[in-house]
Amino acid sequence: MHRLFTRVARRRGRTIAALTLALTLSATATACGGDDASAGDGSGDDTTAVTVGVIPILDVAPIYLGVEQGFFADEGLDVTLETAQGGAAIVPGVVSGQFQFGFSNTISLLLATSEGLPLTVVADGVSSTGEEGNDFGAVIVPADSDIKTAADLEGKKVAVNTLNNINTTTTNEAVRKDGGDPSTIEYVELAFPDIIPAIQKGDVDAGQVVEPFLTIGTSSGMRAVTDNFVQTDPDLTVAMYFTSEQFAQEDPEVVEAFTSAMNESLDYAQENPDAVREVLGTYTELDADLQEQVILPRWTSEIDVDSVELLSELAVTDGLYSEQPDIDTLLP
Amino acid sequence: MTTVATWGRQLFWLLALPLVLLTLWWVASADSTSIFWPPLSTILEAFPQTWDADRIVNDALPSLARLGIGYALALVAGVAGGILVGLSRTVRALCEPSMEFFRAIPPPVLVPVIALFAGYTGSTSKIVTIALGCLWPILLNTVEGVRGLDEVQLDTARVYRFRSRTRLLQVVLRGASPQIAAGARQALSIGVILMVISELFGANRGLGASIVQFQRAFAVPEMWTGIILLGLIGVALAGLFRLVEHRALAWYRGVRRADRGA
Repeated sequence: MHRLFTRVARRRGRTIAALTLALTLSATATACGGDDASAGDGSGDDTTAVTVGVIPILDVAPIYLGVEQGFFADEGLDVTLETAQGGAAIVPGVVSGQFQFGFSNTISLLLATSEGLPLTVVADGVSSTGEEGNDFGAVIVPADSDIKTAADLEGKKVAVNTLNNINTTTTNEAVRKDGGDPSTIEYVELAFPDIIPAIQKGDVDAGQVVEPFLTIGTSSGMRAVTDNFVQTDPDLTVAMYFTSEQFAQEDPEVVEAFTSAMNESLDYAQENPDAVREVLGTYTELDADLQEQVILPRWTSEIDVDSVELLSELAVTDGLYSEQPDIDTLLP
Repeated sequence: MTTVATWGRQLFWLLALPLVLLTLWWVASADSTSIFWPPLSTILEAFPQTWDADRIVNDALPSLARLGIGYALALVAGVAGGILVGLSRTVRALCEPSMEFFRAIPPPVLVPVIALFAGYTGSTSKIVTIALGCLWPILLNTVEGVRGLDEVQLDTARVYRFRSRTRLLQVVLRGASPQIAAGARQALSIGVILMVISELFGANRGLGASIVQFQRAFAVPEMWTGIILLGLIGVALAGLFRLVEHRALAWYRGVRRADRGA
């Protein structure tokens, strides 16, 4: 009896030891994930494994489509898409080598460049549709709100998904163009899914949302006050795909292959809206009705340099940085 | 003369490890070119600029005020509830399973739910989060403390016909105070954690919110100064707590010393 107990105890001790070892190993593996992820180039076959950090929103539909359509495989890339919370979380992931490529909004990329993070844009990400009243992002308010125009946002409490990114910069610009003073707006940071309940509860007066939350809001009776992206620039480049300068120098062929497959994906998505609506269901929890209703952004393989320049100036106006970063080092 | 020597020795033991750690950090990070791991000298340079008067008043103090109010609420509710539960066997039998249930739920999970009731923005939801998190260690420790009271003492107080107020304050509360203090100390560190976590949700100002903002804006040295400031606040609060406990529990140390001597 006693011996049995000790044996069980010993075995349990061994299991625990094995578990601890496994945990330590996996932790170490995660810690140096950057090194194994980029491996695989030139080993036997011609496929290179790359990991791309994305946000699970409508904007990144083209890359999901491109993987599905085999555009990346044709270029010899084996793409793994990893979702992260937001562009600001993806940037460190790319710099540390955890991801080889990432997707982030233009303002966050400019901010990172101004802080000296070595980044290089490799492809356009998503752009404003340029159509007033039919863009994929807007500031929404309750139906009975006394906020009628962008200028009415003055002195109000507005929810955004991240303080000091493209959504605050463009909302500020829309208010400024409408004759209001954006410095009086009190921005509050809330995740996209929490913004609509917060507006409904009256916790905030308005909220800046992108699709599909814009359609969710308007279909529940809310009203769009201003489409901040179009108001800032009809050709606004809202987000882009990027890599680290180090990776661009070390593996230029991989970057070239990625850029070419990404551009093909962007053009394909723009020409096949039905395919886009279908692929949405594979990586979001959107139901079929919403998939049909959401306003699709514009996807293009051309980066609108003027709009990036404009955003960089607006970032200075908003005090995000005092001196404009060198856009030429950021853009390809 | 001897007191000066003792003080000096105490100060040495107090500062020795922090100084060693700081030196190690300084040396290890001195030549760092990594953006996310800047040299300590850069971080320390950024400290006074980052935490200027404006930021202290608008970010650090409101956070500390929310912590103070939430913690005080938890202390009052926890001690009062704990005495109630601890004194009555019936109430205890009734409440214990539910208390264990609520204690097992980590308060960060509740943040979005609390926001639904107490509002996404503003201080209320943050104070409620802090208070809810701090409540359980204080409550459960108070229950244990009250339950562990010497029956003879309670009976004696009753026989001597102490007024119920005196009995409650001098016998029950005082007798349970070592345990209450232990719970309160646990709750303090939970409170600091929740002060930060509650600000990650629906915040635009505050200590935790600032640190995240620095991170989002890739202002890495500034982010590190925020983390250092949080640590310093933790040390200060722990020191303050020890001071209060030292005075409040002076009688207890006396009893312990007497016990050991006997």
